[in-house]
Amino acid sequence: MNHPRRFGGRHRRLGKVAVATMAVIGLGVAVTACAPGSSSSDTTSAAAATQAVSTTLGTEPITLTMYDGQGLKKLDEALIAGFQKQYPNVTITGTWDPDDVTTQNQPRQLASATPPDLVRLISVTDAVKNGLVTNLDPYAKAYGWDQLPASQLVQFRVSADNVAGSGSLYAKPSGFTMTGLYYNKALAQQIGMTQPPASVDDLTTLLGKAKSAGLQPIMTGNQQGGAVLSYQLMLNTSMGVKPTSDWVFNVAGSTIDNPDSVKAATVLDQWNKAGYLPEGVNGIDGSTASGEFTKGTGVFYPSGNWDATTLTTSMPGNVGFMAMPPMTAGGDQAAMSDAATAFGISAKSTQKDAAAAFLNYLSSDAARQAAIDAGFMPSGTASQPAPTIPAGSVLNDVQTAFQTVSAANGQVPFVQNATPGISNRAWNPESQLLLDGQSTPEQFVANVQKEYESELSR
Amino acid sequence: MSTVDGLVSDVNLADEAAAEGRRARWARRYGAKAGWSGWLFALPALVMYAVFALYPILTSIQYSFYDWNGIGRAKWVGFDNYVEVFTDPRLLGSIWHAFFLIIFFTIFPILIGLLVASVVREIRSKVLTATARTIMFLPYIIPGAAAAIAWTWMYTPNGAVNQLLSAIGLESWTRAWLGDFTWALPAVGFIGTWILTGLCTLLLLSGIGKIDATLYEAAALDGAGRWKQFRTVTLPGLKSEIGVCVTITVIAALASFDVVFMSTQGGPGRATMVPGVEVYQLGFTESRIGTASALAIVLALLILVVVIPLQRLFRED
Repeated sequence: MNHPRRFGGRHRRLGKVAVATMAVIGLGVAVTACAPGSSSSDTTSAAAATQAVSTTLGTEPITLTMYDGQGLKKLDEALIAGFQKQYPNVTITGTWDPDDVTTQNQPRQLASATPPDLVRLISVTDAVKNGLVTNLDPYAKAYGWDQLPASQLVQFRVSADNVAGSGSLYAKPSGFTMTGLYYNKALAQQIGMTQPPASVDDLTTLLGKAKSAGLQPIMTGNQQGGAVLSYQLMLNTSMGVKPTSDWVFNVAGSTIDNPDSVKAATVLDQWNKAGYLPEGVNGIDGSTASGEFTKGTGVFYPSGNWDATTLTTSMPGNVGFMAMPPMTAGGDQAAMSDAATAFGISAKSTQKDAAAAFLNYLSSDAARQAAIDAGFMPSGTASQPAPTIPAGSVLNDVQTAFQTVSAANGQVPFVQNATPGISNRAWNPESQLLLDGQSTPEQFVANVQKEYESELSR
Repeated sequence: MSTVDGLVSDVNLADEAAAEGRRARWARRYGAKAGWSGWLFALPALVMYAVFALYPILTSIQYSFYDWNGIGRAKWVGFDNYVEVFTDPRLLGSIWHAFFLIIFFTIFPILIGLLVASVVREIRSKVLTATARTIMFLPYIIPGAAAAIAWTWMYTPNGAVNQLLSAIGLESWTRAWLGDFTWALPAVGFIGTWILTGLCTLLLLSGIGKIDATLYEAAALDGAGRWKQFRTVTLPGLKSEIGVCVTITVIAALASFDVVFMSTQGGPGRATMVPGVEVYQLGFTESRIGTASALAIVLALLILVVVIPLQRLFRED
């Protein structure tokens, strides 16, 4: 059936394809002649430290723009409303991106020719490195932000050599997350828990009692690496708050490949092997785990403030919260607790004084109430009045635990935020291997450390 | 070649001759200008194609030669990104997973589709046929991401899949499907089978409807049973439809993203990592635009290398 004309046609077609391919490649090479990306020279915000700042806003109308994630919209709107009441001449207009794209969009918003005045900072060091945000030290001095507990601001400090955790201030939080253990009150009573365990060992004993009583000791899932939360709750006190924070801040020489970190991983591994974690933990996602705990499966549920409202509604009067007990009895408690939103002021903002006034407002009594109402822990000093929480809400427990941890300077950033790829490349797959019994606690921390170093060396 | 092909080809030749005649008349009437006015008609489509297809492809090629975080300044690195794609065992592993998915995205849907199409052909009732067709096609209408979420729930330790297995006495088979290093990839693949079977069935059904009924009659008279009829009449008659199914589903397997991304994100460990998800994570989570672009280009070329020979194989000649 090879008709000659068609045969020839095929050749012609092939010829055209070849020409088109050559053209595409040629164009590609031509395009590559100029490099992508901005050609702006390196600008540092060091000069910002000497600028004149004012804490009064006058009466002229001022318009500020804000950028944040959709999940924070409710809180932001409450904060904006309260702030505008205090400063009637200021109007804040916000843009809220869907939460799953803020990581990609936020740096572009900040790098644009007209960045928002108030910006959610996801990587403070990146923003500082590219000279895109304002140094807040003059404002901190003018407003007296140094009164706040050090651990409330340490995550937003960047040193001259661009390492987070110390140095100048570049952002202020609208509230904090808080992590620890939720527990089912009825089941906790059943296993004889009358007061929070004093150490991780005590907790392990309780888990054993729950197992013997035929209960599911811990409800958690690890399909998206959720068990790393349990590991870090122990790492915070096993390795210590400062070394753990330094690791997340990429302080030179930081490592989690050490006996203290292995110890935390070993406890998790032993819990798993003893059947304290649910069967098939690698196949349970976060929403399934919280759903199961709500239904009464699981004495303990490691999670954070984001579950408080749902749990209060679905388990009325039957859910409590406590900070993770320290590795050794008598030690301070610590928790992963970072900003709801860390607001920075873009370097190009023309209304820095007004934007700084908003940052200052974030730790006011009214703003603290707004944070609590949205389910976040408030930023502020211990002497400020505690925001009111409806009686019977587990958020009361969460706030109590937060106050204890914050007062002890025990707020630690999440290890998942150490580098952009650390969750996908290391924490999630390596924790799944550990809980599947395919790797040891030693290999677990060593492999994560290896990925951490390889990513930082790029 | 069989008589069937001969018949069809004759018709094609007649059509082509007629078309050739029309072209000749058109050319005589409008002369050389005809060629240019044709391009004018195609211009809107060409502009769209250039802006939304060609330009992104070209920029991807460009980015793949740079070390760039998407914001700051880019550094020319030559072929380094490509070297990484071909030397990083993890990236290579993800490519292997994509090929494994062909079993679930291509082979199973086409086998099931052939079976269903053959059975439905024999159903005389129009209503039943239409119903069967609609039901089979429904999964394809559901977005892959939504299907993946629904299946994630069904695959949980207490989910519908394990409940069903327990109910029929297969308690020992129950497991956390998406958390099991051995079974996660087949489980994800099965979601693909569920989605794509409807599409294949519909395509094959329409193809089977075009086969001359007298051929089946003749085969039956010659004493051919169901199996023989299927082999000698149905299969050859469906050659081009099968070709379309294979092409679409192989591309779906190799370029898979939504189902894997929404169900496992490549886990447990790296047991279900595919190039599509890898490109996304490299580009958008890790801001390594260069490496992501290089992997995307390699993936695109790989798909072409696989699909072009398939096109040849199934071409009707």
